[in-house]
Amino acid sequence: MSVFFYTPVEVLANPSMFENKTIRIGALVQRGSVEWDAQDIRLSFNITEDGKKNIPVFYDGVKPDLFREGQGVVVEGKMKGQRFEAVQLLVKHSEDYTVETEHKKTKEDYYKSIQAQ
Amino acid sequence: MDRMKKIVLFLEWGSILGLLGCGLWVFLWTPLEISQGFPQKIMYLHVPTVIIAYLAFFVVFVYSIAYLWKRELMFDQMAKASAEVGLVFCALVLITGAIWGKPIWGTYWAWWDVRLVTTLLLFLIFMGYFLLRMSINDRDKEARLAAVLGIIGCLDIPIIHKSIEWAKGRTLHQPSTFFKVETGEINPSISDVLSDPLPVAIFFMLTLYLYLLLLRYQIEKHQDELYQLLAETQD
Repeated sequence: MSVFFYTPVEVLANPSMFENKTIRIGALVQRGSVEWDAQDIRLSFNITEDGKKNIPVFYDGVKPDLFREGQGVVVEGKMKGQRFEAVQLLVKHSEDYTVETEHKKTKEDYYKSIQAQ
Repeated sequence: MDRMKKIVLFLEWGSILGLLGCGLWVFLWTPLEISQGFPQKIMYLHVPTVIIAYLAFFVVFVYSIAYLWKRELMFDQMAKASAEVGLVFCALVLITGAIWGKPIWGTYWAWWDVRLVTTLLLFLIFMGYFLLRMSINDRDKEARLAAVLGIIGCLDIPIIHKSIEWAKGRTLHQPSTFFKVETGEINPSISDVLSDPLPVAIFFMLTLYLYLLLLRYQIEKHQDELYQLLAETQD
């Protein structure tokens, strides 16, 4: 499975194996852990599978539109000690497709909602 | 006007008007999806092209077996025509997928996503299929070898379809929206307003496929008839 991505539990179970190697980790963004610095374009958050064990991720880049707490992400980069320095941040989306009830959002509303974030 | 011409003309205008109608429906009357927003609209192009690409290569599979069995030149002409249309649809799948991937996943392409790589493989196999055809001068030998490659190439389709399950979800692609793997039930997790245009778009993409297939088959047939005639006059 390692050709696809590792999970935080797999990486934390064997830290010496992953130290300073370019790997991918797939997990969920832990709620309440996201820090986004729009001035310096720096993003940090914890990733976790079970909500207990987590890895802090640091990413120097733009926060993707679909990046949210609890969202599935795949980060590519290197473990530097306890922290993961990501060079790429990909966002997974679920197979659920829904619309807001009793509200038909138009394209303009959508772009306004993005800018407001 | 003979019957074939009428059918082709009917399919041509049916697909053009139908697909235009789908475009209007999707952009003017379908609400935005809650998490993806505007980029989700490309689903109504991406999903139908995937299904038609699968279908086109399945038709290649069927006609290739029929050719090896009956050695009827018409079967080979149909297989070739369908493979060509399938290749175009397969290219569209890769292109629309990349366009969709950029705003949602954050990348056009990922070499570690099994579905992306196995779909690219399908495209390359059928590129090779035409290289093989072009490299053989003997018409019967061309048909025979192409049929074998066509059959083998189509075996990639179930692999693409099952790839996400086999990779245990370690992909960028999400699990199926319409068929739940765990329960094996058809229990779509998509709002009706969002899924309604899909079968209609698939239907008109199907008529477009049939239109292109018939056109291409006729050209192929006339070409073989012409070569036959030339060979006879030279003797």
